[in-house]
Amino acid sequence: MIRYILKKAFLMVSVFFVVVSVTFFIAHILPGDPISLWVGEHPTKEQIKTAQKELGFDQPKTIQFYRFIKNLLKGDMGVSLRTRQPVIEELRVRFLATQELVTISMFFALSIGFPLAVITILKEGKAIDTLIRVLGYVGMSFPVFWLGMLLQVVFFGLLGWLPLQGRLSGDFSSAISSGSVFINSVLSGDWNLLLDAIMHATLPVLTMTICITGIVIRTSRSALVNTMNEPYFLTYKSFGFTDFEIIKKSSYKNTLVPVSTILGLLYGMMLGGTFFIESIFDWPGLGHFGVLSITTGDFPSIIGVTILYSTSYILINFIVDVLYFIIDPRTKI
Amino acid sequence: MKSFFNFLYLKKSNLIAVLFLVLIFFLSFLVPFLSPYSDDIHGAVFFENKNHLPSISHWFGTDSAGRDVFTLTVYGAMSSFKVAFGVVFLSVLIGVPVGLIAGASSGSKTDEALMRITDGFLAFPPIVLPIIITTVLGPSLNNVIIGIAISWFPWYARISRSQAIIIKSSDYVMVSKSLGASKFHIIKNHIFPNIVNSLFIQGSIDAGYAILTAAGLSFIGLGVQPPDVEWGLLINTARSQFLNNWWVMFFPGLFLVLSVVSFNIIGDGLREYYNRKWDRI
Repeated sequence: MIRYILKKAFLMVSVFFVVVSVTFFIAHILPGDPISLWVGEHPTKEQIKTAQKELGFDQPKTIQFYRFIKNLLKGDMGVSLRTRQPVIEELRVRFLATQELVTISMFFALSIGFPLAVITILKEGKAIDTLIRVLGYVGMSFPVFWLGMLLQVVFFGLLGWLPLQGRLSGDFSSAISSGSVFINSVLSGDWNLLLDAIMHATLPVLTMTICITGIVIRTSRSALVNTMNEPYFLTYKSFGFTDFEIIKKSSYKNTLVPVSTILGLLYGMMLGGTFFIESIFDWPGLGHFGVLSITTGDFPSIIGVTILYSTSYILINFIVDVLYFIIDPRTKI
Repeated sequence: MKSFFNFLYLKKSNLIAVLFLVLIFFLSFLVPFLSPYSDDIHGAVFFENKNHLPSISHWFGTDSAGRDVFTLTVYGAMSSFKVAFGVVFLSVLIGVPVGLIAGASSGSKTDEALMRITDGFLAFPPIVLPIIITTVLGPSLNNVIIGIAISWFPWYARISRSQAIIIKSSDYVMVSKSLGASKFHIIKNHIFPNIVNSLFIQGSIDAGYAILTAAGLSFIGLGVQPPDVEWGLLINTARSQFLNNWWVMFFPGLFLVLSVVSFNIIGDGLREYYNRKWDRI
């Protein structure tokens, strides 16, 4: 067990190193021009020179790379050009807002997707099976930003049931200052705040959930089909158990293993989705910050978001690997 | 050609998906000549006609500059097709040789090095790598294609490698090898023809998701730039007034969804078709 975890941890660190190197490679060696991003349009010669010095571009590439890694390990990602704050600080205050969105959506996608997959299996060939599969299919093909805007048109514009955007209404905005709004409101017993937070989170979470539930349905379905062809399943069947009883009593555990492998992938897709969902719903998270940084050419922030997203993606995949081992101890070391 | 028609006959959905894509592909070329509003493509503005609801004269309505949304939407298909084919072509061009070389020399240091580097590209969450590449290279249609292809080629490398390893150890390749065939000969004549089917399946599904990703990049300002027309860009420009004028962003998105679904159906259909063919043999 410990050997397995250590091995995976070593792999994780080496992948992290590769990711950082690729990011460095893209940022510094591709024929783009980070200096013009740094100093803005129409710079003077002196500006370019100081920028080169500030960015360390006057040094050889190897030294630049060494510095880049050294600063990164110290938690220094430079200063945001837009807000003039350290990038790491900007990322820290937004991290939880994004994680809240992603975690809640993941919870719903799994708890809706898996039962739906079981239904498609039990009612195979019937209308409901086709309907669920088509919906899952279409959900996977939705551009998240378009779906989010449609939901805004319907639930805000036409029905007026839900707020258009933001994480909280104006009266509560002081509560955003730090941490998870949900956990804070429950801990302090402020139910109005909680209700407000839920109202604001509904549309972004709904958008995200629709887009990833299709993948959960698809994966769970094919995993279930595989388990249903196993000899033990057929044996139970010959004893007269119904499909639902067998799945309920035993098969779902065998199905969870392949489904758990896509958790990492889902997480990665949702991180990508935050760029769109957060900027449409004005959700004060990393994706929103990332898009603002892109549109204003805030180069250090873009690199910061990239590295943070990739790191959390690697970390989640590591956790999934460990979970996988715990769920199914037969996993080969 | 015969096998292509067999594929279409296999399922009605295959036929519909192919027809839809072929139709909008040709329409996107013809629309500048057929549409009465063809000037709109080049950024003409008619403020007196702005924000009309869909009607007989403007099937999909008009946007805030009075341009015909139908004309723009159909014309926008061209950018998306360029992205779809460009991304798949470039990913295959990079990924397949890498995978084949790694697979043909599996277990060696070359294999290890190639695949570790490839895995590095997969360690980024999807879309994050294209975002940073297009940021550095500058927003344009071609850079979007490069950005997406660089982050997707690892899938093609993996497919080619795993197939190459299986086929390499089959008997007929062993015989060929014992007769003195070179590594290049084996890759070219034995391994490559066997992976073409998998490439078609993967390529078709990826073409859809390439369109989707490119639209996302355009939506956040990293993709196609005006005066070029693309669905994600159209949705982005509609953003300022979308609560009142929903049709301006609705139709480009609808075409986007239909295209992605069509490419997906074709990919799944191809998989089923090849499996059946295999079963019959």
